[in-house]
Amino acid sequence: MKGRILVCMGTSGISSGAQEVVKCFKNEIKLHNLEKKFEVVMVGDRGLFRDVLVDIIEPGKNRIIYEYVKPVDVNKIVKRHFIEGNPIKELLAGKDYEQFFSNQMRIVLANCGEINPEDIKEYIKNGGYDAVKKALKMEPTNIINEIRSSGLRGRGGAGFPTGIKWELCKKAKGDMKYIICNADEGDPGAFMDRSILEGDPHSVIEGMIIGAYAIGASEGYVYCRAEYPLAVKRLNIALKQARKKKFLGQNIFGSNFSFDIFLKEGAGAFVCGEETALMASIEGKRGMPNPRPPYPAESGLWGKPTNINNVETFANIRHIISRGAKWFSSIGYKNSKGTKVFALAGKVRNTGLVEVPMGTTIREIIWGSGGGMENKRIPFKAVQLGGPSGGCLPDDLIDIPVDYESINRTGAIMGSGGMVVMDDRACMVDIARFFLNFTVTESCGKCVPCRIGLKRMLEVLDLITEGKGNYEHLDFLKEMGEIIIETSLCGLGNTAPNPVTTTIQYFRDEYEAHIEQKYCPSHVCTNLIEFEIDRDKCIRCGHCSMVCPVKAIVWEKKKYPKIDKNKCIKCKSCISSCPVMAIL
Amino acid sequence: MIKLTIDGKEINAKEEQTVLEAAIENNLYIPNLCYHPDIKPIGGCRLCIVEINGMRGFPISCHTKVTEGMIVKTDTKKLQKLRQNLIWLILSEYPKDIPFSSQLKKVVDYIGVENILFKYVSKTKNLPIFSDNPLFIRDLNRCILCGRCVRICQEVRGVGAIGLINRGIDTYVGTGYTNSLKENECKFCRACVEVCPSGALVDKEEWNEKNREEILIPCKSNCPAGTDIPRYVRLISEGRYQDSVEVIREKFPFPHTLGLVCHHPCEEGCSRTDVNEPISIRELKRFVAEKDNRRWKKKLKIAKPSGKKVAIVGGGPSGLTAAYFLKIKGHDVTVFEMLSKPGGMLKAGIPDYRLPPEVLEKEIKDITDIGVKIKTNTKIDSIDKLFNEGFHAVYLALGAQKGIKMGIEGEDDPRVLDGIETLKKINFGKKFNIEGDVAVVGGGNVAFDIARSSLRVGARSVKIIYRRTREEMPAYDQEIKDALEEGIEILFLTNPVRILPDKNKIKVECIKMELGAPDSSGRRRPIPIDGSEFIITLERLIIGIGQSSAVPKEFNIDLNKKGNVIVKKEIPETSRSGVFAGGDLVSGPASVIEAIQAGRTAASAIDKYLGGNGEIEQKLIPDEKETQFLGRDEGFADKKRAINKMMPVKKRLCGFPQIEYCFDEKTAIEEAKRCLRCQLRLKISKASLPPIKGK
Repeated sequence: MKGRILVCMGTSGISSGAQEVVKCFKNEIKLHNLEKKFEVVMVGDRGLFRDVLVDIIEPGKNRIIYEYVKPVDVNKIVKRHFIEGNPIKELLAGKDYEQFFSNQMRIVLANCGEINPEDIKEYIKNGGYDAVKKALKMEPTNIINEIRSSGLRGRGGAGFPTGIKWELCKKAKGDMKYIICNADEGDPGAFMDRSILEGDPHSVIEGMIIGAYAIGASEGYVYCRAEYPLAVKRLNIALKQARKKKFLGQNIFGSNFSFDIFLKEGAGAFVCGEETALMASIEGKRGMPNPRPPYPAESGLWGKPTNINNVETFANIRHIISRGAKWFSSIGYKNSKGTKVFALAGKVRNTGLVEVPMGTTIREIIWGSGGGMENKRIPFKAVQLGGPSGGCLPDDLIDIPVDYESINRTGAIMGSGGMVVMDDRACMVDIARFFLNFTVTESCGKCVPCRIGLKRMLEVLDLITEGKGNYEHLDFLKEMGEIIIETSLCGLGNTAPNPVTTTIQYFRDEYEAHIEQKYCPSHVCTNLIEFEIDRDKCIRCGHCSMVCPVKAIVWEKKKYPKIDKNKCIKCKSCISSCPVMAIL
Repeated sequence: MIKLTIDGKEINAKEEQTVLEAAIENNLYIPNLCYHPDIKPIGGCRLCIVEINGMRGFPISCHTKVTEGMIVKTDTKKLQKLRQNLIWLILSEYPKDIPFSSQLKKVVDYIGVENILFKYVSKTKNLPIFSDNPLFIRDLNRCILCGRCVRICQEVRGVGAIGLINRGIDTYVGTGYTNSLKENECKFCRACVEVCPSGALVDKEEWNEKNREEILIPCKSNCPAGTDIPRYVRLISEGRYQDSVEVIREKFPFPHTLGLVCHHPCEEGCSRTDVNEPISIRELKRFVAEKDNRRWKKKLKIAKPSGKKVAIVGGGPSGLTAAYFLKIKGHDVTVFEMLSKPGGMLKAGIPDYRLPPEVLEKEIKDITDIGVKIKTNTKIDSIDKLFNEGFHAVYLALGAQKGIKMGIEGEDDPRVLDGIETLKKINFGKKFNIEGDVAVVGGGNVAFDIARSSLRVGARSVKIIYRRTREEMPAYDQEIKDALEEGIEILFLTNPVRILPDKNKIKVECIKMELGAPDSSGRRRPIPIDGSEFIITLERLIIGIGQSSAVPKEFNIDLNKKGNVIVKKEIPETSRSGVFAGGDLVSGPASVIEAIQAGRTAASAIDKYLGGNGEIEQKLIPDEKETQFLGRDEGFADKKRAINKMMPVKKRLCGFPQIEYCFDEKTAIEEAKRCLRCQLRLKISKASLPPIKGK
């Protein structure tokens, strides 16, 4: 057996130069006549950003993982490692890598970064399409029962039990049924769906085939945003290969069941992740949500019964069918079973995709895989869960287990699994404003509360961050938030005020500081910053002076810096460079 | 049937109905703005939220289906508060003044603003106001994005000229890119304007509930006889020519004649003028009239004989129309015509090249076919005599046929001719040679008819002398254009002052004029320019400056100063009981269609006088439900008005051949399809409005 050189080539790998690394490996191997001993395998991203990750798997030897590999390193690796047998220590993935992965339970992401997503044979070799073969021999009702008893819930955000969803669609009357995979991942910072489609597209296809068979759908759509060109490309390759193998098309796997999947590229509107808007978009209409009921299960795409699940949900299906509902439901917590992938981001040491069993606490994720805070001197302040329509939780709430109910009780949402960690440098008013600004521009504009209400809230937040706020504003934000949640047409509006309402709930003192003292405790809101040095905190390092683009800060070694306010353009470069938050 | 309770009131609803529909049907009001009965609900405004037992949150009633035993509350304190704040949000984007008659204003007043959170004034949107479109104004600042316009254009009309552009707070209703409505295949049916609740889309021409139909369907309201033009034009577009002509025939028995000579006030009003050019309505009428196979004769119901006799004095358009309808009502009608042939001015005053005699004869035959008696060469001198002969009522429709004199020196010369007399002689085919150089005084249609007829009976050259400019000329544009084409010269701002007889010729002294201040007719008064006199030498001078009526004294009826008959305000009855009058005789010289309308009014009044119900119209084509669908037509807005082909000038002047050719079928259908279908919007359902407070 040949040794495998795995090069992570998802979007992040490629953007860090993985293609060049692959080219070098191929050249070097040829040069040293190692073609019979080694093969280069392009795999998907593994979810940890380490520029180019290269794994060397030789039969009978321990797996060696190199991180931050540059084209110039390839020659070294080939010579010293492959030929001389001495792995290169300085390139080995370190403790952080180990910590990041050892704290995870990888089921959905198991294949990501391990197999070549553009080769169906590799997927099959790893047990791929076994589940669908098994499922096609089962009664559809039994499949649905299996999914029901597994306790799998929708990973797109709302957490509706998948088995019940399938059952409703199966029971609905219709000459034609559709199954749709929602791959319109819109939350900024979330990229688990993209990584799955780029790294393991067949797992989604397999899940969709099983779902289609269970509910009786004959056509499927993957609605994927066009901003994911690599995912689109790999999915298309996968579909082609699956069709060629007769896994898709007429009488698949020699059964009576016929099914095919089509790819529809979305234009990147956030609201198109909402299922009724998504279907409108597939139909060629403006992507706007429609009131429910009727639910898609009764009247969905082109008025036919339709089942929509998220990428991660579909990727779970094959494991449930293969290993059984019992196995699946043994993982997780209370009413939330299985694992969940989180996109861990913000001020933590390790950012990336973390798959953990439901019920793991937020603290375990941040200080486990995440490796703790990025800057040890600046303490944790909040974690934002659930993307732009999620909520911000303070330190005393992060010991809650991640499951749908626990998170919802706090006012945040599970969402698609966005998890942004913030330290004391984050102003919670500004954070609320940031997320609200996102939903204001991404609202479809159809219903009054979401279209106008959010905008009015944003304007009030602007006033507060400019130091023009009063207590009446706070009441307005709270009440308007509730009105929007209560009256909006779709999930976007129903959750959009969450960042504001949760920050007011948990960080009211920060709002009050902005209103009463006209002071931004985190030194973020430009209008409220004095641009003066706090000598109690300053460690006289001079970073501020070095980064100032207009040379408004004078500093000499071992002395306190001075800011010339006439020159200062309030760009806040000094503030972000200061390691101790000493600029007021 | 499904039983449910709304606000404590038990009501019945149909299956598949929504809560809002059921409420509206039972006269219960739930506030709404984006809902409209003719289009699918979208749940955008959120005002129709309700509370329903067993359902979470606040479902929207426009989209929630009724179920058996459902208990709905529509006006709780909580709902009131939510609605008020939603309204506040809408108004926070809206200019301060809400149009008084708009649905928005009524809803705002109904919901009130007592519980709004916060009096925070946002910046105004400052969006463009598009006022350069035809027919309506689009003010984006007043748009509340209810999307009704977009949906009705798309769902009901099948046009899709407008859509929602951008997202979130920047959403607006537009045409996309920089396209105009025309480029987006807008059909200017104004369904969007009809359903707009907020005054963002408004007709350029203002209307109120009373004059709405009049303003919105100008072709119909401009027609003195109220011909259902939208209906017959639509039938033509569907290829249903016979149906179309029968729609016209519901109003009068002269479709073909009018198709040739009507001055088409309908076209002056046509809404399409604003888009590019009006529909050729008159030509369409002529097109179907030529195809009339008289199927309607079998449908026409003539009432049983009433035993009443009616005498009609004057066989012109007014008299014959009255005769036709009175006969239908069962009366015994006799028309007395002074001349040898009936038709009045249609026969005597309109040259054959405009109205061929066979056309008129055929339409008069239609009238005699149903039993109207016409006595020609019969002059009536006394009304008493008619009553003595057993007539129960008399309709005077003598017209205005006495030429007005200029009152200038030398007018008595035999070579100075009376215009209308001359025309009559030509039209009756009397041997009548007009030779040499001829001039006609006057600027009306009669003057042009005389001038153009003169050319056809042998004049060497013809001039028209008119004291004002072309702007003020009462003759129709087409008439002037044709005359100029045929070689007639027009001397504007010129007036004859005296006629000097010469041996073989007459010398006419003219003076140049200039325009002064407007006179009582609104036209600028011509003032002679001293010392600008000049002389033209002619063989004949024809005076065509106007006509007046000549009522015999023996009639013993009241006349006004101009010599026109005075009739009552409400009905066209004269000072003598049982004696009615109408047409030019009452109004002074006017149009054919006005004379016909006078005949219709008189017929109705006379029928009532004789004990009938006065309802003279009969539906020949039953009303039918029109489809609201229009669909897209490439280049619709720029489609040119069809113009009929004309006979070349050389051929025209040999005798009196008809000079305008009729449309062919393809042209007629295409032309009828250009119609904006203004009447369609009247069929759009009314939005559900709040009850008026206190009721």
